[in-house]
Amino acid sequence: MSSASADSPAAAQVDQPRAGAPRSLVSYLRPHSAKLWQGMLLLLVTNLLDKSIPWLLRDAVDALVSGALGTVARSAGLVALLAASMGVVRTISRTTVFNIGRDIEFELRNDLLAHLHRLGPSFFQRMPTGETMSRAINDLSQVRVMIGFGLLNIVNSLFAYSLALALMLVMSPELTLWAVLPFPILVLVARLMGKSMFGRSQASQEALGRLSSRVQEALAGVRLVRAFGAESEQEALFEEANRNALEKNMALVVVRGFTWPLMVGVASLGTLLVLFRGTGLVREGTLSVGTLVAFLAYVESLKWPTMGLGYIMAVLQRGRASFNRVREILEAAPDITDAPGAKAPQAAGALRVDHLSYAYGDRTVLQDVSFSVPAEGSLAIVGRTGSGKSTLAALIARILPTPAAAVFLDGDDITQLRLRELRKTVAFAQQEAFLFSETVANNIGYALPETSSPQATQRIHHAAEAACVKSEIEELSDGWQTMVGERGVQLSGGQKQRVALARALLPAPRVLIMDDPLSAVDAKTEARILDALDEAGKGRTFVLVTNRIAAAERCAHILVLDGGRVVEQGDHATLLAAGGLYASLSARQRLEAELGAL
Amino acid sequence: MNEVAQDRTRRKASATAPTSGAAPALVPASNARERPSDEPPTLRDLGLLKSLLPYLRPHWPLLILSLCLVPISSLATLLQPYLVKHTLDAVLVQHSESAWLRTVTMFACALLVEFLVGFAETYCMQLAGQRSMADLRREVFRHAQRMTISYYDKTPIGRVLTRVTNDVDSLGEIFSSGAVMAVADIVTLLGVIGFMLALDYRLSLITFVALPPLGVAVELIRRRAREAFRDIRARISELNSYLGEQVQGVQVVQAYGREAKSAAEYMKINDEHRKANYRSIQLDALLYSVVESVSMICVALVLWYASVRAGVLSGNAQQAAYIGTVVAFYQYIQQFFVPIRDLSTKYTIIQSGMAAAERVFGFLSNESVEASAAPTTAESPATIDTAGEALRFSHVDFGYRADDLVLKDVSFSARAGEHLAIVGATGAGKSTTIALLLRLYEHRAGEILVGGRDIRSLPRRQLRQLFSMVPQDVFLFAGTIAQNVAFSPTSVDEAKVREVLSRVGALDLVERRPGGIHARVEERGSNWSAGERQLVAFARALYRDAPFLVLDEATANIDSETEARLQSAVVELMRGRTAIVIAHRLSTIRQADRILVFHRGQVAEQGTHEELLRQGQLYAHLHQLQFGAQ
Repeated sequence: MSSASADSPAAAQVDQPRAGAPRSLVSYLRPHSAKLWQGMLLLLVTNLLDKSIPWLLRDAVDALVSGALGTVARSAGLVALLAASMGVVRTISRTTVFNIGRDIEFELRNDLLAHLHRLGPSFFQRMPTGETMSRAINDLSQVRVMIGFGLLNIVNSLFAYSLALALMLVMSPELTLWAVLPFPILVLVARLMGKSMFGRSQASQEALGRLSSRVQEALAGVRLVRAFGAESEQEALFEEANRNALEKNMALVVVRGFTWPLMVGVASLGTLLVLFRGTGLVREGTLSVGTLVAFLAYVESLKWPTMGLGYIMAVLQRGRASFNRVREILEAAPDITDAPGAKAPQAAGALRVDHLSYAYGDRTVLQDVSFSVPAEGSLAIVGRTGSGKSTLAALIARILPTPAAAVFLDGDDITQLRLRELRKTVAFAQQEAFLFSETVANNIGYALPETSSPQATQRIHHAAEAACVKSEIEELSDGWQTMVGERGVQLSGGQKQRVALARALLPAPRVLIMDDPLSAVDAKTEARILDALDEAGKGRTFVLVTNRIAAAERCAHILVLDGGRVVEQGDHATLLAAGGLYASLSARQRLEAELGAL
Repeated sequence: MNEVAQDRTRRKASATAPTSGAAPALVPASNARERPSDEPPTLRDLGLLKSLLPYLRPHWPLLILSLCLVPISSLATLLQPYLVKHTLDAVLVQHSESAWLRTVTMFACALLVEFLVGFAETYCMQLAGQRSMADLRREVFRHAQRMTISYYDKTPIGRVLTRVTNDVDSLGEIFSSGAVMAVADIVTLLGVIGFMLALDYRLSLITFVALPPLGVAVELIRRRAREAFRDIRARISELNSYLGEQVQGVQVVQAYGREAKSAAEYMKINDEHRKANYRSIQLDALLYSVVESVSMICVALVLWYASVRAGVLSGNAQQAAYIGTVVAFYQYIQQFFVPIRDLSTKYTIIQSGMAAAERVFGFLSNESVEASAAPTTAESPATIDTAGEALRFSHVDFGYRADDLVLKDVSFSARAGEHLAIVGATGAGKSTTIALLLRLYEHRAGEILVGGRDIRSLPRRQLRQLFSMVPQDVFLFAGTIAQNVAFSPTSVDEAKVREVLSRVGALDLVERRPGGIHARVEERGSNWSAGERQLVAFARALYRDAPFLVLDEATANIDSETEARLQSAVVELMRGRTAIVIAHRLSTIRQADRILVFHRGQVAEQGTHEELLRQGQLYAHLHQLQFGAQ
């Protein structure tokens, strides 16, 4: 297989917005270092202003005691001034730091999609859509909380502590000692609680997860449950999970409910000690009332940062775990990448498959398949369900990781061609017609850079006509502007397939590979589409995977697959005469047609 | 003050939000239907609260207890600054050691009460909240179990799942985040005002001067924040559905080389999301800072007024007493502003909880539930007689959509113990017939009788108890093989499980696995082969031992050894029962007493294998089609 790096600048731009190298959190933070420093500086200033206020309070109260009322009024004015400027600085500092979290979230999101675009089936088989989405939604937001909220609080607590302690020490070392007496307990409690809360919130989340899979299972099996009249058994199962979730959640809630009053209590213990010892010192005459008041203010102001520490632990732990889960996606290796020195495909469109074998894990799907299609020729691949037809088609288009030196386009190994240009040369229409939540016109014009110009509109209409879906689109409520896909109008299976077919026909590729694109279309419409395709197929190489002999027989060459091997090939007449699998499939379908006509 | 407090509620909220376990709310339709929920409380909210009431009512003692504790813990909190004042007074004014010790002790007591009562209050509220949410969840699940199968044909499972899990969670967040304790905040606010007025009404009035402008500022910011918040929700839902689609359609994106353009589109939504967040962050920071600063400006006002007032006060004693009052005011101001600052966070949680409540109760009021049984009439006897004519379809019409009939005028009957095989091309109406028999759907016209009784007059459960059903795609749930055979998580008769497994010839297969009949079954039975799953489903039907067997034979490719096992198992399964089999195996068809040939929603031919072959019509064609080529 090809290596992951790209030499071509064009491909590097498109397929590799950021190199697939492992990215640490630091590498995401680094581009924001200027903002980070700025935010920290602002936090420092905020704290300087914040912690100056108790100092002023001391002066004011002492002045009040001594009756220097002018000083009191001046201090009051200063407090107001500091408060006002603190408001400004604090707004900016919070905005700056939280914005960094949002910026990194923004970048992570973009990187995630860009990387998902590069990943192949080996990844998507391993990680179901739900799991991928859960990581992109829930885990990403945990990472953001860690960066924005976690960072702010760590830095802020650090500043708050050092400043408050320094100022307190200057005022009265003895009282400072009393004030910080409960803090070791506080930190210990915070850590213990944080840890236990982390464990319990894990447990609660697991319980919720189990509950959710129970419900999912009950709903997925709803028809059987009904048929068996087994609703009450399902309810018992659900109730078990529900009760378990309740218990686990309550266990969490108890710690949480316990933590806050406990933290407030222990933190207030500081206030109690300062009050007790401070008033004692005032009575002895060794401490001014103002200093006592300032101490009370400092102790109060350290309450929240200390309590926050316990939570920050949990936030950091969760954020780290989440980042690792996101990183698992970001670091997944793509199956299909540009080879070093990949070149542009040539324009003729001759295909050659040479001893191609392919396996999903240890299940062999294709074995030693060889054939060739001349430029502008046509080939049908037929065979029973599970014979490997779709895999073969996807390998020719390099939608699956095609082995090296097995598929050649105009004599070039397709794994040595630049992907971006290969995609333009070789179009692939899937069996499963996946439409996006977009207008019909945008879905058909999916390959176009824009879909609103008159030329584009004309091409879209033309493609829709070739796929025999134009008149039906025009009958839709909003015509070409009708929204389809998950959030739009529900088209029938056949309509979806034909819209997808129009999408594949529009770019007029040199090679068109269609994987059973008409399975949900009735035979009459199919014949009409195939007529249209005969027209459209002129001047291009055409590979059609199909179950239907009526469609296959229009192709110049037919390849019959069975159990991953080519069992027959030739044109329609030859294969019929041979009396093998193709002939029996043909007979079977003729009978089916007769039956339908009865 | 500091930066932590405001995020407290929010962080607590995120502690319980499901991250990985619960399925993500993927279904964009549910987001699209979600109306903007950030409007001020309205009649809608009142209506929702009313709907919530029945779930809270069973837990009212806890709720009342919790609410009764609120004033006590508030009082303990509010007393603290008051006691600080008196401690200072004891030192500065009274110079009395006993008074000093007394107030300090009282302060310690207040701390203790605050802690104990605060805990009890939170605990009771949480217990009531969590329990009522568990009740609500159960009700939603029950309702989901009663929704018609047609509803499930149209609705993605994810959406219903979201109602049971995520939506109930966000509603419960009102309790678990403590947002519901906003009630307590109001008590505290009123208490602070009362204490301040009692201490010194002049200082109080000076402090309250700051309130009207603060109120205006908070309201202005909040209104804009609401818009930003609404914008964020819309964008995040757009982001998630875009990403979901990109993941599901990744092959299409790759096949058309659309990566760059899609990334650009996504980045645009992402950027709008970020901008909306920037706005909300800024407003949030502004609100936080304004409240903090105004509280400090209040302190400044108090100090300034103290300087004015102290000049008026006569005598040292009065002046000294004034110091304690100023200090107490400083602390009251702090207590006063914290709830105001946290108000917006709590409001946000309550709003998103209300939005979730709307979806949950909307689902609960969805009336496409299975209709209950019609009362018995003279024509349809109350007893079910399965000895004579076991079942009869007469002139039954049915369609999944209003404009399209899948079954037209279907009539047939079966004697007790008779084995019917149903054959026909795909889409001929075979599976639909079986679904109607079990009343998974309501037939549109005609009559279906089971044991002489109209199925519409039977309670569904009673009707379905009569049948052992084996669907084409076997559904195994996570658990053990024994639980799956018994189709029950709790009451498993192990001897009977062994017996039925051996009767279908699967006991040796099961016992080869570690754990034997207690071998693990992964979600959807993914660790068992298709053939093994079939055999387990057969055993399940035998275990149930119902008078009717309904079997939809699987067409999947199965190895010849398992195929042989399945063939003999089917014989065992049908023995002594009235059986209707949608048959794909020649052996099954040949063993049937009668074959019904379905064609385009009608019974076109019936008879035995030989009779029908002789007729040389549809059946002969079908036979040749299915078995001729082999």
